[in-house]
Amino acid sequence: MNSIFDGKLRVLDISMGWAGPLVGQMFAEMDAEVIKVEDTHHFDWWRGSLSMAPPEMQPIERAAVFNTANRGKRGVTLDLASVRGIEILKRLIEVSDILIENFSPGVMDRLGLAYEAVRAINPRLIMISMPSFGSDGPESNARGYGNTVEAMAGVTGLTGYHDGDGQRYTLSNALGDPVGGLHGVFALMVALRERERSGRGQLIELAQVESLIPFVADAMLDFQFTGKVPAVRGNRHREHAPHGIYRCAGDDNWIALACESDEQWRSLADALGIDDQRFAIASDRKANEDALDAELSRAIANLSADDCVARLRDADVLVAPVNSAPAVMADPQIQGREYFVAIDRAVVGTHLYPGAVARLPDTPLRADTPAPLLGEHNRQVFADLLAMTDEEITELERSGVIGSSPRQ
Amino acid sequence: MRYHALSDLRVVDLTHFIAGPYATKLLGDMGADIVKVEPPWGEGGRKLGPRRAGVEDRGGLFAFLNLNKRGVTLNLKHERGRELLASLLDDADLLIESFAPGTLAALGLAPDELIPKFPKLSVISISNFGQDGPERDGKLNDLVLFARGGWTFPVGEPGREPLTPPGSLAQYVAALYGAVAAMQAIAARDLGLGHGQHIDVSILEATVATMIYETVTFQYSGILRNRAGKRFAVGPFLIVTLKCKDGYAGLHCVTDKQFEGLCDLMGRRELASDPRFNTALNRMLNNDAILEIVEEFFIGRERKWLYREGQRRAIPLVPIPSVAELLEWEQTRARNYFEAIDDPVLGRIRVPGTPLRLTSHRGEASRPAPQLGEHNREIFGERLGLSDSALETLKRAGTI
Repeated sequence: MNSIFDGKLRVLDISMGWAGPLVGQMFAEMDAEVIKVEDTHHFDWWRGSLSMAPPEMQPIERAAVFNTANRGKRGVTLDLASVRGIEILKRLIEVSDILIENFSPGVMDRLGLAYEAVRAINPRLIMISMPSFGSDGPESNARGYGNTVEAMAGVTGLTGYHDGDGQRYTLSNALGDPVGGLHGVFALMVALRERERSGRGQLIELAQVESLIPFVADAMLDFQFTGKVPAVRGNRHREHAPHGIYRCAGDDNWIALACESDEQWRSLADALGIDDQRFAIASDRKANEDALDAELSRAIANLSADDCVARLRDADVLVAPVNSAPAVMADPQIQGREYFVAIDRAVVGTHLYPGAVARLPDTPLRADTPAPLLGEHNRQVFADLLAMTDEEITELERSGVIGSSPRQ
Repeated sequence: MRYHALSDLRVVDLTHFIAGPYATKLLGDMGADIVKVEPPWGEGGRKLGPRRAGVEDRGGLFAFLNLNKRGVTLNLKHERGRELLASLLDDADLLIESFAPGTLAALGLAPDELIPKFPKLSVISISNFGQDGPERDGKLNDLVLFARGGWTFPVGEPGREPLTPPGSLAQYVAALYGAVAAMQAIAARDLGLGHGQHIDVSILEATVATMIYETVTFQYSGILRNRAGKRFAVGPFLIVTLKCKDGYAGLHCVTDKQFEGLCDLMGRRELASDPRFNTALNRMLNNDAILEIVEEFFIGRERKWLYREGQRRAIPLVPIPSVAELLEWEQTRARNYFEAIDDPVLGRIRVPGTPLRLTSHRGEASRPAPQLGEHNREIFGERLGLSDSALETLKRAGTI
């Protein structure tokens, strides 16, 4: 065995967007057999919109984010509004170990797939539901996605410039989604271990907002200790100065730097040729932070980011370039550990994708298998798992229960 | 909240600060037996803020991150300290550590030598940059991590410096990868491998892992995602943080249906068929124009009204809470999400509960974070069989 599951665990992924699909993708990394089910009418919305390009361009096969979050899965389609579509989905549930769903609240009920019904089909199956705010409580029906979850978890209220006009900002990675997904993987790993012991599956409910709130525990405790909501700090730190982002020479080049001790400050000041006694002691630097930032901005403005980072690293200061996407991918440490993996996928060709994070030497994770085209594995999956004949599958295609092109 | 699902797993926890302790907390919340091993002077994270006035040696975050663990002290520079660690590892399933790479090896505890000695043990190392690579020994804090890992560049106003995300969010993401890796090690061992392995988790890579909107999309489109102000990005959607009459609202308007709902909410149904906005592509091309209309509408409305009326039209639209409001949010109250902890030093604090609800188990109250060396007697005495006088000798020698 050189993988964790060696193809012996089957995951049925009927989720959309990022949080749910990430769960399936991480099981694919562990060499589980992951089957992504999409509705022929309402395909995964993360494929984007049909209106973005002419049909011959296959716009829904060109979504970078979909093609990342669905790597390593086999793709099938089913018309979930049809009796036969649901009947086939139930047959897939019967032969699976895990079911991942993140529909809006109430949808699984309407499909006749509430957990009780699923358990009746397959009592060993572990089902995970990932509602935004929870399946009970007064706001269980509210809709949310990565950014709305981030907002409701308290993150957005803390994101703003220290000297701005009060505007708050959303982060750039829809944080609620990957965080929800990672919790989902963890929960399922726990439930699988539990199943080894009890022989029974279960329903796991994961409210995405509840998985992100712990990340701001710090600010919540601050409020409890002081009675005040902590002010937005922007790029500044509660105690240390300097702690900020400064413009370098060139178009849109910036570095982030921080000093956490007087000693670090002295070596930074030496490296940049700053000689100003106002800033020698930590408490003075914090009290005069505007002047300090102005002085640093002047000293850094004409240096290239590379030069500045090299000088300050040598001086043992906390420093990094503010990396844009290509700079992240070119980072020497990221490249040195070959973090990104190349994948050739139909329609779009070869690109680099983020690799599996954990390095397991004896059972390596695999993140280098492409995402499926819509309905790409219909024949294979329905023949292999449900023993359907070619004629049966052709009939399903003809009647529109399955398909490989989007229906409006 | 603490479940019992992992009560047969034994974890020796050599982590400090945030990423490592949150990883072991996730396991502890699921019932794993966590023995937190600190040096006799305490791990660095004990004093992390926020602090209650008058309490210097126990920060609030420590009290949260170390729930459901027991705490012992060991000086690993002492031979006797390392021997006692080995006794703890004897029946452990996991050693989770977050030292700088090479630290354990310098102590004679190199993971690759531990695993043959303790065949069922896996070692999970969570480090800033990973166990190898040209810059593995660099320095890092949250500001620098966010900048280097790509989170900062696309956030903030186009005309201003990029804006760093708040707090230590990426450390928690790395913690999750660490906790998942721990379960992967156990699954691999029990499903066939038969023995443990040394797993390497890089906090920088965990940070980069979530940046798929940038790294992969950039390669596909050739367009660099840049700061878009209050918007998530300029795209065929409107994902935006809006000022309203009494605070902020978060709007996520992506599909045609959501856009029709938004037009209806604003009493401007004609906008849905306006040639500037009638398709996703047109909404991307005329994103500034639609944003202006929406901003003007939101600024005059209250959050509660927007939330109710937006959700009634199936638009993901939420009232953005402060951390204070979040503690009182009726949804989290109804679900008993926050847990009150009677911390022995800080008194009563309310902390986020576990997000995982396993229907197989009933949760019980969390155990407060340990005081320094609180469980020395229980673990070294009761579990390892050391006598009171032996413990006293170790204490005098500074080993515990």
